[in-house]
Amino acid sequence: MTTDDKPADAKPTDDKPAETRPEKPRRLMHLRWDLDKTYLQTNFDTVKDLVKTFWQKPEDKVSVVGAQALLRALLDPADRGNRRVTFISGSPRQMRRVLMKKLELDGVEPDMFILKPNLENLLRGRIRAIRGQVGYKLKSLLLSHMAAETVDEYLFGDDAEQDAFIYSLYADILSGRVDAVRMAAILSTCKVYRHDVDEIMAYHKQLAGSGDVVRRIFIHLDRRSPLDRFAAYGARIVAIYNYFQVAVLLFDAGVLPAPPLLDVIAAMETAGYTPERVANSLQDLMRRGFVQAAAIRKLTEALQSFGASSFVHKFEDVVKSMDHLQRSPPPWPDEINYLGLYHEARWRRQQQRLLGIRLLD
Amino acid sequence: MAHIVIDTCAGRESGREALEAAALVSLERSHQITAVGDEATVTAALQRIAHDAEHLRVAHAPDLVDTDLEPAAAATKSPRSSIAVGLEVLARDPQAIFISAGAPGLLVATAQSTLGRIPGSSRAALAAVYPTLRPHGPASDPFALLLDVGATVNASADDLVCFAAMGAAYAAKISRIDRPRVALLSNGTAMSGAPSRVRDAHRRLLQSTKGFEYVGCLRADHVTSGDADVIVTDGFTGDVLLRTLEGVAATGETLIKRAAERFQWRLGVQMLGDAIAAVREFTDWENYGGAPLLGLDRAVIVTQANSGRRAFVNAIRLGAKMDRLQVLEAVAAGVAELSNPTVPPPPEHAA
Repeated sequence: MTTDDKPADAKPTDDKPAETRPEKPRRLMHLRWDLDKTYLQTNFDTVKDLVKTFWQKPEDKVSVVGAQALLRALLDPADRGNRRVTFISGSPRQMRRVLMKKLELDGVEPDMFILKPNLENLLRGRIRAIRGQVGYKLKSLLLSHMAAETVDEYLFGDDAEQDAFIYSLYADILSGRVDAVRMAAILSTCKVYRHDVDEIMAYHKQLAGSGDVVRRIFIHLDRRSPLDRFAAYGARIVAIYNYFQVAVLLFDAGVLPAPPLLDVIAAMETAGYTPERVANSLQDLMRRGFVQAAAIRKLTEALQSFGASSFVHKFEDVVKSMDHLQRSPPPWPDEINYLGLYHEARWRRQQQRLLGIRLLD
Repeated sequence: MAHIVIDTCAGRESGREALEAAALVSLERSHQITAVGDEATVTAALQRIAHDAEHLRVAHAPDLVDTDLEPAAAATKSPRSSIAVGLEVLARDPQAIFISAGAPGLLVATAQSTLGRIPGSSRAALAAVYPTLRPHGPASDPFALLLDVGATVNASADDLVCFAAMGAAYAAKISRIDRPRVALLSNGTAMSGAPSRVRDAHRRLLQSTKGFEYVGCLRADHVTSGDADVIVTDGFTGDVLLRTLEGVAATGETLIKRAAERFQWRLGVQMLGDAIAAVREFTDWENYGGAPLLGLDRAVIVTQANSGRRAFVNAIRLGAKMDRLQVLEAVAAGVAELSNPTVPPPPEHAA
């Protein structure tokens, strides 16, 4: 293990600019994707929507704008041997064929595809496991963790469920920030079934402190949740409004070159995104301190050589209008209060159930 | 799609509610929204508000306006105020609509110096709506348009005629009235007691009313009757009239509250609860969406200084409607028609 690979070094400090964070791809890149509302545009807010989703044909399923272009770019065919993609979805296992077909139509070949055993849970009377995600997703993440020494993980989830909580907890288990006692307390609070707790604790024993390998967690704001909901998780989690924002961050980190970023922009343009709208997303990242003006200048220079002038002009306008901005990147997570965050999220869900979704916190 | 430029430094809670309105609209509509204000403050506030950053941009305006100063002094002291920056954004984009609850004097003065005027119009007019007893137009719009309510304090006869044309064109589009009925605000139907500018304007309006029907002069006590769709006056009188109407409505509400304090009357007030609520809703200025500043080549909507989220959302809706119905173009066409008038038959009841 080289100095660069040490987990302690992988945790950036608050005063480090974004560009110096150790986000360069190492030997292996492992992408972990949630499916519904992250990769696929899914609506299951009502039973009717749920039934409709279940019977939907693969060709009728629609991916989130830019997700397919981004994923295909990240799975760079020239370096496919060093790229892995795992889908972990809360959809029932009975949908495997349809979902696999959809991914095939999109030209995405997953290395692992994990679906939830909902029927099994139902037959065994594990009702909490049907709704709950913590036990299932955490176990699946740990199970599919690649025990390679040099691996970079990028996780993709959404704000509809508990992806930010689960992904962050997973990252902290690997980095050794969550010990067994705390882990057991968290699982108990999350009301995870005994059987799952045992399995997760076994994985914890095996993997805890194995490496700080999660480089970034991207949470797609499908419900447009307020950003401060994710502030407690630190800058490892980036709440994103679209996949162009992910592409920009990965470009800035040296993970994604300019041509595939152009593919993401093209996909967004095809979906009706105007240069103005894409530029707004860029300004949002800048204002939140995730990218600096210098990075955007680098981006516009790179894009200029490939065309896309209408977008480039708007990006330049954004930089010009924010020339006063001297914002440091948000701090990397230090100590995350998972129990507090769980209770907070639970309270919010109960409020939503009773009062509907509150747009203003 | 309309481009809404909203001043987030003024209104209730120091503009926080303006920002909340912008955030709400960003989630519900696909308008481009520019929130003008101190960038760091706006960004920090947006962290706590659900919004769609794909539709929302921030324009940095670091200077705060000193509301105690005269408009000229305030403009000099705060060259990068939210009003100045917002109007700059507006000047660059013909599709944009600027909404502000900032100091009206400064806003009007800066707008007149930053933006161009529509051909044929020398002064701008603030057009406010007020609920009347008789509905207007095919959509039974309950509001009449009153202009000017504060932009041009000393209006000449030419200005009043121009305001009539602008107001009529605006009402024709917004309330879908084919030939809006326009009246001049005066102290009686007989012209002898009116100031010379009103007499001159009256004479000219009797001859040049191509796009509207001039119904003569209207006394202040008939403003709420709905006899006219558009009521024209100078900025000073209009402002006084509007404040008086608002004051009367507020006094009425206070009297009802006082009545409810008396035990004997409480039952009666309770029984009238729904009707009182309906009247309150009808006269609530937050439902109107603000007053457009007509006569400029860009759309500016002025809202009251204590506007809350609802007022701003309604102002944004009004702005979007103005963009959709191409109201500014219609107003410009209405003013252009003044130079090419036709003589319609004079209304029988005109003095």
